[in-house]
Amino acid sequence: MTDHLKHLSWRAGFGLSPDEWLTQQQWPLKKALDHLFENAAQASLLAPPPQMEELPEEAKDIPENKREELKERERKLVSQYNIQWLKRMADPAESALLEKMTLFWHGHFACQIRFSGLAVSYLNTLRQHGLGSFRDLLLGVSKEPAMIRFLNNQQNKKQKPNENFARELLELFTIGHGNYAEQDIKEAARAFTGWSSNLKGEFVFRQAWHDYDAKTFFGKTGPFDGADIIDMVLQKPETALFITKKIYRFFVNDTLDKTQVNLLAKQFYDSEYDIGQLMHTIFSSDWFYDKKNLGVHIKSPVELIAGLFRSFGATLSNEDSLLFLQRELGQLLFNPPNVAGWPSGKSWIDNSTLMLRLNLGGYLLNASEINQREKADFEATDRLKAPRRLEAQINWHPFRQWLGKIPQTEAVVLLTNYLLGVQSPLDGAVWNKILQSSDDSDPIEKTLTVLLSLPEYQVC
Amino acid sequence: MKRRDFIKTASLASASCFVPVFLQKEIKRPLLSSRSGKILVVIQLSGGNDGLNTVIPYRNDLYYQNRPSIAIPPNNVLPITAELGWHPAMAGLRDLYDQGLVGILNSVGYPNPDRSHFRSMDIWHTASNSDEYLAQGWLGRYLDSASCRGCDKPYHAIEVDDNLSLALKGKLRNGFAMSDARRLIKTTENRLLKAFSSLEKPAPANDQLAFLYKTLTDTQSSAQYLYQQSQKQPARSTYPATALGKDLALIAQLILAETDTKIYYASLTGFDTHANQPGRQERLLGQYAEALKAFVDDLKSNSLLDDTLILTFSEFGRRVKQNASNGTDHGAGNNVILVGGKMAQKGLLNAAPNLAQLLEGDIQHQIDFRCIYATILEKWLEAPATEILGKPFELLSFI
Repeated sequence: MTDHLKHLSWRAGFGLSPDEWLTQQQWPLKKALDHLFENAAQASLLAPPPQMEELPEEAKDIPENKREELKERERKLVSQYNIQWLKRMADPAESALLEKMTLFWHGHFACQIRFSGLAVSYLNTLRQHGLGSFRDLLLGVSKEPAMIRFLNNQQNKKQKPNENFARELLELFTIGHGNYAEQDIKEAARAFTGWSSNLKGEFVFRQAWHDYDAKTFFGKTGPFDGADIIDMVLQKPETALFITKKIYRFFVNDTLDKTQVNLLAKQFYDSEYDIGQLMHTIFSSDWFYDKKNLGVHIKSPVELIAGLFRSFGATLSNEDSLLFLQRELGQLLFNPPNVAGWPSGKSWIDNSTLMLRLNLGGYLLNASEINQREKADFEATDRLKAPRRLEAQINWHPFRQWLGKIPQTEAVVLLTNYLLGVQSPLDGAVWNKILQSSDDSDPIEKTLTVLLSLPEYQVC
Repeated sequence: MKRRDFIKTASLASASCFVPVFLQKEIKRPLLSSRSGKILVVIQLSGGNDGLNTVIPYRNDLYYQNRPSIAIPPNNVLPITAELGWHPAMAGLRDLYDQGLVGILNSVGYPNPDRSHFRSMDIWHTASNSDEYLAQGWLGRYLDSASCRGCDKPYHAIEVDDNLSLALKGKLRNGFAMSDARRLIKTTENRLLKAFSSLEKPAPANDQLAFLYKTLTDTQSSAQYLYQQSQKQPARSTYPATALGKDLALIAQLILAETDTKIYYASLTGFDTHANQPGRQERLLGQYAEALKAFVDDLKSNSLLDDTLILTFSEFGRRVKQNASNGTDHGAGNNVILVGGKMAQKGLLNAAPNLAQLLEGDIQHQIDFRCIYATILEKWLEAPATEILGKPFELLSFI
């Protein structure tokens, strides 16, 4: 049964800390599932950054000599929110499920964010509705200044409609390609004219820019606004199917099981798009724990890092390392490659990212130098050449308590089961060789370093 | 004509590359010999190089009017023609140009240009339209294509970096990232990784895991091979001690050792010159020109230049009008520089950018960059360009 707990904890969250692992093994699986949802219900929203008040309404109102300084300040603040978010994912005191949902929705409603106030507001909308009603979520995101700016709805005016947001709304956020006509995009764009925002992170409806005339969308005609368009999109069962497929791929399996997906989509539609109910159904279904769904998901960089830090209670002396790792592994929060989000699965992997992944546990546990030259930013003045060291404090205490008095061979079995997504390729004879090698390093640390360097740790 | 209809037509027209028709009178030359030893080297200038201060219209009043404090004075320009000349830091390029090894394409870009570094670089990497999102790069798709000979080797395309660019990511196959062969060996020589990679292992539990193991063993064997290859030649002494100089020296070592690699990819970054452009760009263009000159000389003296084509690009050009900080902001159309021993067409391959007809203050593209890709794929790499790029683009005559 521990396989099922492991599966649930990784797919609905970021794995478990050793303490959580030991405690929850004593529980029936249902209790672990309830625990996830209860924690999510208690999670709170993030406080907006205090610096927000200093911002004017519009970027053009910032004096030119202040602009670079402000951009730099905001860049640092967004980085801080990035780090805080990643730490929440790794923190057993936070809601793993809600953070996981937020990560999923960030990939779905993909948006690059450069201002801290916009980042917090956007994240709060994902957190507030991430397990709630998809309608509320969609409407909320459509009014998020970060999204409005990223998809140019700021420029969407009656006199000169900008179709960018309307196109992605239909193609990527709701119903998917092939279920609408080009004309539907044009009409939807008109309905969203005047949906604007300011730099303080507030939604602003600009009446003068809004097109109040009749539009014809999905065959209906009326003086629709953005909310009407969203409702008409949600009336189409294809939207429920599109979202369900995406959720299934992210949380269950890249290969869709049509029967299950269709049933889930129907339930999702009939529940008026209740995301929490959909997730609960998935995680409590027997088929979710079928062998074909176990260990077939290549962890995304953020899942990998968060899981690693959760397991080892690691604290870094320089938290910028978390940004470095995200960048090098190919997934930087608040910076998806484009509005289509991050490609997943095998596309995380090339020779370079794989070697960093396999060495990452060793770098972390042994504070050794990262053998990697950093990819320079476009805006950086020069390529950074300095190798980085992960100066981390590891919380060994739970491991010592758990395994300190247990024979080594048994500890290997327990740790293997704790960490690996699939069966270990190493048998007892190999472990004997590894553990009996002449160096004097601690056997628990050595065992952990070996397990983390196995490709089997990369899947869940 | 409605505006959006116009945009549609314009983008259709640009799929055949040229907005004005030129170069078409050129009779298409037969393909070069079909020997398979051809090598492509891509040099990426990251951050958006200011092409207008690289190949300079030094007789154009509009250029000087738009850039009162950052224009290069006519006397400092290294003339190419009566109209255009190199930035003074690029004596190396002028020298190569005078040897007939260089082709310059002006006003290269794509319809509806995006002025974000990230997005525009992705567009260049994936050869997508500006409203289209592709997860595979143009060279990655070349690696994927059935007609790619030798692409099953993991080091068929090498990026000299520790991080693989989107351009080299395919669905089935990827390029290989390596900035330093010795260091790469070190990452694969992790004592523990080594210990278990030589073990008899049960077959991987699933497809994802099998893929991870294959990538691992490929990386280990490639690291060994590439390290040996990089040691076959003496260290190159004629290269500048800059990052790009070192990267190109490594590429030369691998080429000279007859490494089974067809594509090399290197980058130089720092071109995002919003402020105090002159000093910074001078330093970077100097680094670029010196490293490239050393590389080309090296290949030439080893009779390998005829087999090599070097493509230099940046994700966009910069705004024609300078800003208030002695710099330039993100723009659109830009120049692309081609260097090789067997250029079918040399020198200035098209007209200088038209500074009188700008699009939102930027140079309008006259050549779709994907025509350059198509030409390289079809005529140099002998691969089906239309299949790889997803639609037909007109082939140019520089090869």
